[in-house]
Amino acid sequence: MSAIVDARALVREYRMGEEIVHALRGVSLAVHEREYVAIVGPSGCGKSTLLNLLGVIDRPTTGELSIAGERVDRLSDARATDFRLRRIGFVFQRFYLMQALTARENVELPLAEAGMAGTERRDRALDLLDYVGLRKRERHRPSQLSGGEQQRVAIARALANRPALLLADEPTGELDAYTGAEMIALFERLNADGTTIVVVTHDEDLARAAKRVVHMRDGEILG
Amino acid sequence: MRSRLAFLVLLVVPLRAIAPQGNPRSIAIDERLAADAGLRVGDRVVVASEPGLPGDTVVVAGIVQRRADPAEIARGEYRVRLHLDHLQSLLGYGDRVDRFGVKTRGAGSTGDALSRINAAAFGFRAHRSADVAVETSRTFAVVSRFHRAIGVITIVASAIFLLCIMLLKVDERRRDVAALRLIGCSTRTIVGSVVLEAAAVAVLGSVAGIGVGGAASWIVNRHYQAVYRTPLRFSIVTGDIVLLAVALSLVLGVVSGWLAARRLAHTAPLTLFGR
Repeated sequence: MSAIVDARALVREYRMGEEIVHALRGVSLAVHEREYVAIVGPSGCGKSTLLNLLGVIDRPTTGELSIAGERVDRLSDARATDFRLRRIGFVFQRFYLMQALTARENVELPLAEAGMAGTERRDRALDLLDYVGLRKRERHRPSQLSGGEQQRVAIARALANRPALLLADEPTGELDAYTGAEMIALFERLNADGTTIVVVTHDEDLARAAKRVVHMRDGEILG
Repeated sequence: MRSRLAFLVLLVVPLRAIAPQGNPRSIAIDERLAADAGLRVGDRVVVASEPGLPGDTVVVAGIVQRRADPAEIARGEYRVRLHLDHLQSLLGYGDRVDRFGVKTRGAGSTGDALSRINAAAFGFRAHRSADVAVETSRTFAVVSRFHRAIGVITIVASAIFLLCIMLLKVDERRRDVAALRLIGCSTRTIVGSVVLEAAAVAVLGSVAGIGVGGAASWIVNRHYQAVYRTPLRFSIVTGDIVLLAVALSLVLGVVSGWLAARRLAHTAPLTLFGR
């Protein structure tokens, strides 16, 4: 299997006044196609920083990062945005759905941005909502959906442009235990169907469901 | 050139309904007098130039609506129109008039008429009615300028207020904008959607504003027309005003939306998330 993520000696430092914060201290990580990786560790260990770098929303101070065979550690803002649109799917802890749009329209959003035509876009969105079990809720707005349903819409949106990599930041953090279990099952199904997943979590059940668990502490990967 | 009904203000005292007589001359009275004295067309009354004089018995042949003339708003006197010769005899003026109107066939003949009247005799002074109107409306022109100044100040203050509101409203969406950027929406898309929404809100706001303005104008007109008993329209919502309002609102909405959205769209998503 080829490596979807190839991170080499990633360093991320922040300057806070006179002080320099070492968020990542030379992290190397390879994630292969169809892998399901959970990154765990205590708060402040650098796992979210690593996820931000993998999602091309932040740049490493030093080091090299390739996603799906493309160097992304020095992309311009516009190219990074386009890369995220076509190659990366994001699932956030707080869903971040557009409140004014229906479930289907939320899923259609990245498809429209990618230039997909109307009918094709609609069909693709409905297929994705069907996949996450929300076909019948397509016309509902986020405020009319439960937390679990909103997260499933967010997952459908993340999968819209068939990303090479699905990144999730505490996807069960806002859900109750039962809904969280449903979400874990959905992630397992996604991975079984071929999606490469990297998830950052404190949820032990979610981490246990991953095929590989990466432990972090003080900006480094353990072991 | 011919003499017509004279448009002169006449003190008419006393004025009362009397029994029918021979073939009286006719007069026209304004509607305010008709209403206050309870007169109708066909009623016979006595008009005299001074209180206590015998006067002439006349018949009310017409009731005239007041003109929509701002100069007449504050005037409380009544108006009676008489035939010129009747008015002359009533006042004891003999064959004399102070002012009269001449209707011409067009702009060309107006100039010719002015020259001929002014040259007819010493002391004749002819003026275009438009010039007279301008001369007598100077006070209102000044008042109108004051109103315009107040309007401009109001608009500028409202514009600043709207701009601030718009900036705040867009800023409330920083997390939405951040999410849009994370899922790959371009700066152009984000700015475009905000500007489009701002334009739609501005147009809808304009339509609502025009509705409110129209209703307020109607109420103002009804109230003051009743108070002053005049057909004058005190408040007018013209097409130009509507166009100006919509254009101003649209420009303000689009500019403020564009400024706010551009600022957000060029901020790093992580900063927008507060990380």
